[in-house]
Amino acid sequence: MEKEQILAEVQEIFRDVFDDENLVISEDTSAADIDDWDSLSHIRLVVAIEKKFDIKFAFGELQELKNVGEMLELIQEKLED
Amino acid sequence: MKEYSFDELHIDQTASFEVKITEEMLDKFCEISGDINPLHRDEEFAKSKGFPGRVAYGMLVASLYSCLAGVHLPGKNCILHSVQSDFIRPVFIGDTLVVRGGITEKNESVRQIVIKATICNQANRKVSKARIEAGVI
Repeated sequence: MEKEQILAEVQEIFRDVFDDENLVISEDTSAADIDDWDSLSHIRLVVAIEKKFDIKFAFGELQELKNVGEMLELIQEKLED
Repeated sequence: MKEYSFDELHIDQTASFEVKITEEMLDKFCEISGDINPLHRDEEFAKSKGFPGRVAYGMLVASLYSCLAGVHLPGKNCILHSVQSDFIRPVFIGDTLVVRGGITEKNESVRQIVIKATICNQANRKVSKARIEAGVI
């Protein structure tokens, strides 16, 4: 799956988790850019991404990522496994 | 109190316990929450609205979900993330409730379980249901 396509799917997940239909994310978006991106919403993002793409992350794997771009790369890696 | 670690928990694992609702519980909940609505405090008012007596606070009943997660499933290692609950039927003083929960999801990457829970009265009628998200620390 192309990164742009993954980004589009992940954006829908972000809009759902943060309950903001107008939210637009880019590869540079990080937790610092979204006020509500706290530890609980992070858990919801991780679980929703796992379900959407039918992949599994290791415990804490997504905690170390700096931004959405790194998240997309990790999703892409998991999809190629 | 149970002390399950994340690895000891599995899908379909269940827990249950019984609680009798007392007048004292309603009075304490009133004191804690500040909810002085007469439906919960004034028997005559409750009867005038068609109920047989004081109606237990929905949130008092829902507080039993805290006990389900924090004491029974997963127990000591629980950190509650969310409770989405419905109040299906009224609960009254003297009702004996059975709180039941079963694990429906186990999310390894975030060490979180999802519990589907119900509360039934002594007539085995469902008075509440909930979806609980709990971290296991």
